Amino acid sequence: MTESLEPEIRRAFKEVWQSENESDAPELQPDTVLLDTGLDSLGFAIFVSQLEDELGFDPFTLSTDAYYPQTFAEFVAFYEKFRSHAA
Amino acid sequence: MSTNLHQRLSGIPDEHVLVIAPNGRLSVAEVLQSGPAADIPSDARVLVSIDDVRELTRVLVALDGAVAGILLVSTAQPPEVVEELAKVADCTIIVSDRDDLASARNVVQAIGPTRPRDRTTGWIMTTSGTTGIPKLVPHTLDSLARSVRTEKVQPVPVWGMVYEMTRFAGLQVALQSLLSGGTLCVPERDRDVSEQVRFLVESGCTHLSATPTLWRRLLMAPESNKLTLKQVTLGGEIADQAVLNALAARFPHARLTHIYASTEAGVGFAVKDGKAGFPLSLAEEQSEGVGIRIRDNTLWLRPPGGYRPRYLSGQDIEIDANGYINTGDRLEIAGDRAHFLGRDSSVVNVGGVKVYPERVERVIGDVEGVGLVAVTAKKSPITGALLIASVVPASQDLDTAELKQRIMARCRNTLEREATPARIVFTQTLQTNAAGKISRN
Repeated sequence: MTESLEPEIRRAFKEVWQSENESDAPELQPDTVLLDTGLDSLGFAIFVSQLEDELGFDPFTLSTDAYYPQTFAEFVAFYEKFRSHAA
Repeated sequence: MSTNLHQRLSGIPDEHVLVIAPNGRLSVAEVLQSGPAADIPSDARVLVSIDDVRELTRVLVALDGAVAGILLVSTAQPPEVVEELAKVADCTIIVSDRDDLASARNVVQAIGPTRPRDRTTGWIMTTSGTTGIPKLVPHTLDSLARSVRTEKVQPVPVWGMVYEMTRFAGLQVALQSLLSGGTLCVPERDRDVSEQVRFLVESGCTHLSATPTLWRRLLMAPESNKLTLKQVTLGGEIADQAVLNALAARFPHARLTHIYASTEAGVGFAVKDGKAGFPLSLAEEQSEGVGIRIRDNTLWLRPPGGYRPRYLSGQDIEIDANGYINTGDRLEIAGDRAHFLGRDSSVVNVGGVKVYPERVERVIGDVEGVGLVAVTAKKSPITGALLIASVVPASQDLDTAELKQRIMARCRNTLEREATPARIVFTQTLQTNAAGKISRN
């Protein structure tokens, strides 16, 4: 059983959010809607790009389903589903 | 003489609501009784830079047919650019609701009682792109409204307006709504997406046109589950299959259309089969509509009706002997379909905003401590592309963390948000090409 990606995603979110907004990032709950945290489309794109650099994959590009996660829990689950691609 | 906006709205009942915004509504009766202010001569060209859609609609109806020209300029343009554009286009009057334009008059000062409308007003649009002074593209109301369906439909369509109306995409949405007897509902653009979507839901929005970047964002906002759309339109960026599929699944009863439009050509075409790219059969049809040709994997468009676009003030437009215009958009042909690859110039489309990497390089190159810089694009599933800046410090012993902060601060102060690099990478060398230029590949 591999470790959850959640801490890594949480850390990357905090880093990008703080760099984009120049203040402290909000605490993420499982049902937090990511785009309601003050991260705009561009910030979200940077967040996904940073995760790709760190994790080695990008589920938005890999996914053939038409799916856009809304909450933090859905976002983490989306990444967990595609983690086998991180080789 | 062509039919002006006033005439086109005259058949609609007085009480019909043209615009719903958080700060109020605008009815047909309110726009039909006015013309330009008495001191605006009929041979004047008027620069209009208004953010409020109700005010902008009133001014456009008041001016069209009664003055020589209307130049629409985005309210995001800095004052010096507005003044320069007024000069280039020979505009003697500036009408604006912004407070940073010294020579502008406000909307109240621009509107007077109705008066004869005996002119065909020239409409001048600006091209998008963050290069400094935008290019000016002359139009008429007819050429702008060409792809607008004007038959009145019931129930009245309620078009969500999430674009700036002074830009080409926004004006297309506005004209589509106004000329087909619809209602525009206009959320405040600087609010959270959730709040904007709530306003659209409350206003009964049935038709919505947005960039793929904004659609992805809407799909990630739970409030969008409450939207019941009949028309979903994508434009301004390449629509990929993922976003088309997601929209088809979320709005199963909506017509799904992605449009390709060129400000230069003043036209575009629509694809309605829910698939990315467009069928090659579109390029074969030679009806009275838009002419589409693919040459060397680049898209060329011919506006219908012999309309020959040009840029004002001698700016170049590439147009062939048959009236086809080079759009600069590259295509990949696979089977019976063409897919958009991006621009043949270095322009990068970041979330619907066209960014020139050279300009970003110039800004970063001016920061103290920067030796060399190359700005490249990275694909993004969210905004289409992102910018990455590779920087060679001027000397080895510089603190790169501090240099990075200086670069980011300079970019944030001088560039649009989309033009600010998503990431800064420090490196020892940059590749140069045969011409000795820094290679962007």
